[in-house]
Amino acid sequence: MKVLMFTWEFPPLIAGGLGMACYGMIKALLAQGVKVDLVLPTREFVYFPMRKVSDVDTLPAVFVNSSQQYEYKAQKFKTLQERLEYIGISSHPETYFQFSELIKQSKALNYEYWYSENTTIEEKQLWDDISTNLQGEEELMQKVQEFTLRAERLAQILDFDIIHAHDWLCYPGGMLARKISGKPMVVHIHATEFDRAGGPGNERVHKIEHAGMSFADKVVAVSQYTAQMIMSRYRIDTAKINIVHNAFSVPEDAILDKKRIFKGPVILFLGRITLQKGPDYFLEMAEQVLATHPEARFIMAGTGDMSRKMLRRSASLKLRNRFLFTGFLNRKQVELILRASDIYVLPSISEPFGISPLEAMAFGITSIISKQSGVSEVVNHAFKIDFWNTDLWVETINHLVENPDKCIKMGIDGMHEVNLIQWDEAAAKLRQLYSATLSEHIRKSEA
Amino acid sequence: MLNVVFYFQVHQPYRLKHYNVLDIAQGNDMFDDDLNKAVMHKVAAKCYLPTNKLLLDLIHRHEGRFKIAFSITGTAIEQFKLYSPETLASFQALAETGSVEFIGETYYHSLAFLYDSNEFLEQVMQHRQLMKEEFGYETTTFRNTELIYQDRLSDLIYEIEGFKTILSEGVDRILDWRSPLYAYKNYSKNINLLLKYYKLADDIAFRFSNRDWPEYPLTVEKFVNWVDHLTLSEERGRNQFLNLFMDYETFGEHQWAETGIFDFMDHFPTAILERPHLGFALPAETSKLANYQQESLSFVHPVSWADEQRDLSAWLGNDMQHNAIETLYELYQKIRSKGDEKLMRIARLLSTSDHFYYMCTKYFHDGDVHKYFSPYDSPDQAYIYYINALAELEERLVR
Repeated sequence: MKVLMFTWEFPPLIAGGLGMACYGMIKALLAQGVKVDLVLPTREFVYFPMRKVSDVDTLPAVFVNSSQQYEYKAQKFKTLQERLEYIGISSHPETYFQFSELIKQSKALNYEYWYSENTTIEEKQLWDDISTNLQGEEELMQKVQEFTLRAERLAQILDFDIIHAHDWLCYPGGMLARKISGKPMVVHIHATEFDRAGGPGNERVHKIEHAGMSFADKVVAVSQYTAQMIMSRYRIDTAKINIVHNAFSVPEDAILDKKRIFKGPVILFLGRITLQKGPDYFLEMAEQVLATHPEARFIMAGTGDMSRKMLRRSASLKLRNRFLFTGFLNRKQVELILRASDIYVLPSISEPFGISPLEAMAFGITSIISKQSGVSEVVNHAFKIDFWNTDLWVETINHLVENPDKCIKMGIDGMHEVNLIQWDEAAAKLRQLYSATLSEHIRKSEA
Repeated sequence: MLNVVFYFQVHQPYRLKHYNVLDIAQGNDMFDDDLNKAVMHKVAAKCYLPTNKLLLDLIHRHEGRFKIAFSITGTAIEQFKLYSPETLASFQALAETGSVEFIGETYYHSLAFLYDSNEFLEQVMQHRQLMKEEFGYETTTFRNTELIYQDRLSDLIYEIEGFKTILSEGVDRILDWRSPLYAYKNYSKNINLLLKYYKLADDIAFRFSNRDWPEYPLTVEKFVNWVDHLTLSEERGRNQFLNLFMDYETFGEHQWAETGIFDFMDHFPTAILERPHLGFALPAETSKLANYQQESLSFVHPVSWADEQRDLSAWLGNDMQHNAIETLYELYQKIRSKGDEKLMRIARLLSTSDHFYYMCTKYFHDGDVHKYFSPYDSPDQAYIYYINALAELEERLVR
């Protein structure tokens, strides 16, 4: 079984949970004998043929252009970092196409594949949705356009059984690859525009999401919560939807032991500081808890479009030196902040899954998570509260602060529980889904 | 007679490191010694040493008729000793001429006056002791950090034996129709007040090298003519004082040597002293020279010499600054009651007003000046590091 997989994030090219999920998932798939050709929005046009488990860390790359591949092979890289910089994965991907040129090419694409006789009206309409909504001069739209063109080329030259595309940025590419190769496609929903925007969001993105899910043979949702969203908001055929929960595997070199920074209890928010994650609810909790427990320390770790607002607001609430900001943290620093924390909170307004609480629990930290999250479906040893119920969050934090023994016990129970939530199980489900999709596809084409 | 009263502010803070949450409780030093050393070396080379040399020469050249006053903070003196002892020696050489007055202030260049009167008085006494030790000088004139002044300040200073004069800003909303060229009294008429003539002082300190300024370039002749012109308004023979107060770093650091600032200063005293009705005076001499009934002025609200507003908004203008300074003084009370000298010292270094100045968000015009002086990327960054430092301090306290 060989999968052509498209994703926008992968460590070290990572912005959030998607990268972490893809890493764990591919690693487990490889262990189960599935081969993966991975496509990322790299600066250079490469793909990553992954065959063995260690490939997720070494990221073996192949240039599509043969002379570039020749040059690349001739390079002597001292470090992995250096090699990744060469293919442009250490920084955010950039577009090297002229916009006008792109339009021309995408028109050609449209004609060639979508106006031929063996295209149904439905197919054509879905692709029209994609190409209309991908028009635009925004940097991101341009990147998606270029990524889509790469997908076309890869679909022509690579051999694979099935296509797997993660989140909307990769749907156009996945669709094109499916059209060209005639191989079935699975789309994976880690988050919808409704989650990210904390409201309706961008309509163009909805259109692309809808087209991708409609065009796909199967849709994977990371939680029941997300499956519900896909059904109610996007009206996707329920028979196509499968739920595969994310998991968390502790990195082998991770140190989990407590290493306190503060003597008082530490309550942690860790993630992008953006509306979706509910940072303003965290601030509100902090204000109320600190009124009774000034010895507590609240740490807001991460960055995001609401960082400045949160900083200024924490000052205006006069939270003294009890509400602290870390700014951006790398993996090692995340580990250190987790080791120094007692209570982890995830007050997300809408969280399709939310891997970060699993990570916190793996460190033995008692977690309080929003009911509006997928992760709340898979853990029992965590508190689950509606994100808007600030009083209950405050009550719960106060209770844990006042009963440190209970807090520690809950943390340990949570740790044991999370250790059982492994990617192997998720990968096995995916493997079964691939097989089922393939045989269905073969049956259909024979009919 | 119009007397030019020069007073230069000499100050260097102990700048904080980019102090992150993960640095807390790791036994780290909070202050950026490397940066502080580098700044001291740079400013000593560009400003302190060449300007001190020039001033010493001018004092000798004019045989006591050219006089200047300095206010040098405790944190600056300490850093001279650490990183530039030759700078301290050159100030000591100036002190020995007898033509230099040293002015009292808070040792840590702090805003303690606004938050903690006891601490304020203690820092003033500490500074007074330092001036005695380093320069053999008994201070009689006082200036508060950034010329911050309010009626209450004169009460506190009057309580300390020996202080006769306070320097402040010639704020229009206080002076109204009055001229800053006369010596005034504080509201309770027991302290002599000198007010900065900000227009002419800022012509040198801020506008000297500004090519967009219609008066550019500022020549000695032009400037002395302006000074001379000021005497025309005085018809009753009263002695006037032109109070030119500015940062010492104006010379060579804010205004680079290439702008001609040193040449300007080199020729300025001669041009003044050539005219019989113009001269120089020290702040300490002004109350004797004031040959008239001094009017008393009341400052109900605090003023300062910073920015257009000449109020406290450069240090206490936004929520970050308020939260930071209130946290500091609350914590300081706790440290003090525990009597931990080591932590008191750190808290005092953190009370230096520069830390709050870096958090100023009044961008556009005045903000540019703030940005120029800040070792951090943004006010938000400055705030984050400062709050982290206070979190560190508190952890050390409860240890």
